[in-house]
Amino acid sequence: MSADDESFHPLGHEAAYEEAKKNAGGFAEMLKSLGGDGEDSRRGVMKKMGAGAAVGIGAWGTTQGGDEPSVSAAEAGGSETTEQGDTQWGMTIDLERCDGCLSCVKACAQENNLDQGVNWMYVLQYEDGGPDSSRNRLVRPCQHCTDAPCEKVCPTTARHTRDKDGLVLTDYDVCIGCRYCQVACPYGVNYFQWDEPDISTEQIEEAHSDTEGHMMTDERGRWVDSRAPRGVMSKCTMCPSRQDGFSGEEKVGTSACEEMCPPDAIQFGDMKRETSDPQRYIDNPARGRALVEMNSSLPSTSGLEENLSGAGSDLESVLEASEDLDEELLTVMKAAEIVTENFGEDDADSVQYEEAILEVFDVLASHGLDLGSQEVLVELELASEPDEDEEFEGADEEAAQEALVDYSGSPSSNFKLLEDIGTNPNVVYFGNEPGPTAHQTETPVAYSDMEADRADGGSIQLVDNRKDVLDEGTVGDFGVSL
Amino acid sequence: MSTKTPSEEDILRPINTFTKKYVALYAVSALALGAFLVAWAYQLQQGLIVTGLGDWGSGGGSTWGLYIGAFIWWVGIAHGGIILSAAVRLLGMDRYLPVARLAEMLTLAGLSAAGFYILVHMGRPDRMVTSVLGHFHITVNNSPLVWDVTVITAYFVMTATYLGLTLRYDVHRLRDQLPDYLEPVYKIMTIGYTEKEDEVIEQMVWWLALAVIIMAPLLLHGGVIPWLFSVLPAMPAWTGAVQGPQFLTIALTSAISGVILIAYAFRRAYDWEHIFTDDIFRGLLLWLGFFCLLFLWLQVQQVVNGSFLGPTNKSVATDAKIGHPVYLFSMGLVSATLAYIFAQAIRPSLFSKPRAIVAGLAVLTGTFLEKLLFVVEGFLHPTFDIYAATPGEYFPSIIEWLSLVGTIGMVVLFFLSLSKMVPVVELHAIEHLNEDHAHEDTTAATEQEVKA
Ligand code: SF4
Repeated sequence: MSADDESFHPLGHEAAYEEAKKNAGGFAEMLKSLGGDGEDSRRGVMKKMGAGAAVGIGAWGTTQGGDEPSVSAAEAGGSETTEQGDTQWGMTIDLERCDGCLSCVKACAQENNLDQGVNWMYVLQYEDGGPDSSRNRLVRPCQHCTDAPCEKVCPTTARHTRDKDGLVLTDYDVCIGCRYCQVACPYGVNYFQWDEPDISTEQIEEAHSDTEGHMMTDERGRWVDSRAPRGVMSKCTMCPSRQDGFSGEEKVGTSACEEMCPPDAIQFGDMKRETSDPQRYIDNPARGRALVEMNSSLPSTSGLEENLSGAGSDLESVLEASEDLDEELLTVMKAAEIVTENFGEDDADSVQYEEAILEVFDVLASHGLDLGSQEVLVELELASEPDEDEEFEGADEEAAQEALVDYSGSPSSNFKLLEDIGTNPNVVYFGNEPGPTAHQTETPVAYSDMEADRADGGSIQLVDNRKDVLDEGTVGDFGVSL
Repeated sequence: MSTKTPSEEDILRPINTFTKKYVALYAVSALALGAFLVAWAYQLQQGLIVTGLGDWGSGGGSTWGLYIGAFIWWVGIAHGGIILSAAVRLLGMDRYLPVARLAEMLTLAGLSAAGFYILVHMGRPDRMVTSVLGHFHITVNNSPLVWDVTVITAYFVMTATYLGLTLRYDVHRLRDQLPDYLEPVYKIMTIGYTEKEDEVIEQMVWWLALAVIIMAPLLLHGGVIPWLFSVLPAMPAWTGAVQGPQFLTIALTSAISGVILIAYAFRRAYDWEHIFTDDIFRGLLLWLGFFCLLFLWLQVQQVVNGSFLGPTNKSVATDAKIGHPVYLFSMGLVSATLAYIFAQAIRPSLFSKPRAIVAGLAVLTGTFLEKLLFVVEGFLHPTFDIYAATPGEYFPSIIEWLSLVGTIGMVVLFFLSLSKMVPVVELHAIEHLNEDHAHEDTTAATEQEVKA
């Protein structure tokens, strides 16, 4: 796919039309979605984002298999349904921001009380023939495919897509443990429960006694969350108990792994909503990165107020007076605002970052610095000085976008894993895509260096290769392999 | 050729004799099955961790292994058996009529072994009925595994009907010479029988045979079973349109080998030289040779596509296959058998029944190993093989090997038991052989006259 204007449809035509019908008064939205207009500010941004950013995300939100019958309603009277929810949980993962610390792997093991080696979330470092493989990392949760092959092959409907939010789940009460889903999954994300799990159902229940569903049964009363019982299949669930609000309203739209990721490389959210974290990241990864990166360097409002008292209100004096605010930082802060519609609004996680920036802006404004003024914008190189006979045109989005890219870099490319197989994954990666001969090497942090706490009060060392654990139970391990 | 005339008495001999050898074989087979049942009980108690299986991917294992390999192998033998018998009936290959019923029985036995493997392979076999049947109307649209179970069940029913129908004829006519303690069984089998139905039955059997032959390439081992693998795009060791024909040749070679072995055992045990004649063995061997040739030809097709400028994933899988000692060994077995069969066709003196037995055993071993490796290879060389733990490791555990011993014991027990209840050679075959004999006698006589 090329990044030219024609091929960029944030939504495919049909889906875009559906979407537009839903948005009351959304005709303009629809046109925008169809990508046919010339004025749209976001399109300007897109051009600037460079080769990688718009590639490969053309079909967001379209469910190519949208007319596939979903079988999750099977148990309720055994009828099929073609109903599609308005939500599709998914992720973006910025591989160039991942440091391979395995925090997400650990967080997942803890949240779900997984056995050793059951790495629903898996992080790997790899070599791919290139000279520098230091940034070759892959973070691999379940891709929660829209056209999930595992679901298609399941002989029981245990593996199903939840209508309301597109999560691909396993009903532990229905699965017969044939393992065909593991066979059909191109990514290798499934982990069978070969023996009795370490942590009993009772222990999990006890640990979550005041959580509805005890982190095991979801809103529909189906047992789909936490580690699997013996003899059935398990894999990353994208935390249905959280999404159902059982862990508190604030956890809706979050996953255990994204929460624990120190560099915020994982953005979890609704892939069908334009303002969700992953969708914003897809729209403008440089902006997403910049927000995360500058967040740790933002000056505290009280500190800033203190610094500024008595100082002049022009840009130079303000920058001179404040300890933690330099021109570069202020430029990026302002640039982020310029390229963002509804800055600081909405409920995506990244809005917190925007709010923090707005708070700083408030302090500056009350000190008398007008960040929107021609003088300041030109000084920050976020607008060009008008010629004498011209009017000032305001902030320049292209310049703002450039400032963001300069600050945080723009990912080399984005991709979905094995896209040509037709699974329509709901995880979008930023960074290098591993080639067909890529092979795993050592992660900076070893699995055995990580400990995960579990519901029985104890903790375990993470294990990379589960076979090492399983071999202990094999009757007559010949120590050879086919 | 023997000069003995086949008689009703001959085909009733298994029912009306009771030898020490029979008891010994029964005991050994029961022991084999029993040993596996104990092992299975242990597996049910501990979970599938007792096998050598694991999770492919980061888990460094193989999701499926001997259980599925042996499942396919048994289904192949079974499907080959019914195709053989159907061909005999449909094409009027009367020469092989004496072994047709053995082939049908082999089908039932093989399908039982395969069905058993499905249960053994499951993590939660207790849910088979509720989970699979309960959602059948939905899953049958998509899941090859459901098609599989459906087809296996359908063929079991078809074969049982087939066998049941032809048995009515025999049981009715031989009733007086059959043991009385089985009276209720015979009563049920011949319920409502009148000699008038013979013609209708013959027609029904013909149509059933036609159905079997027509559906063989699509529904049996030429279709649904290979689709379990060949339709999955991310496992290059499995994908490809050649798998259907390939599986079908494996089914036919395995089944013919199986029939050779079983026919030989009966011939020895009950002095049936005049029923399972050398001629039949020679003919079966030739057919075996023909299907071995097809088998090897399709293997070459499969391997060439991938070893010459294949896409990376396919090349890796193909290289691994052709370099694998188990693969080479199994292909060697089949090739050697083929060479022998050709040689004995040119020089009939090279034929002997023990050699035919060795050929049958070699092919069965070859096809079993090929199937076992085939299943595992998919997991060892997936398209997404970035994981350090891939290719993983797998070797069947003792319990898995025992399952093979146990199901072979089960199939032998099946024949031992059935042969005590009903004739394993049909009356029609005897009638037919006698016609031939009469015919031969006259020709012989004429020849003599000419000489004289
Ligand atoms: S293991 Fe369970 S979830 Fe997976 S395909 Fe089999 S029955 Fe379905």
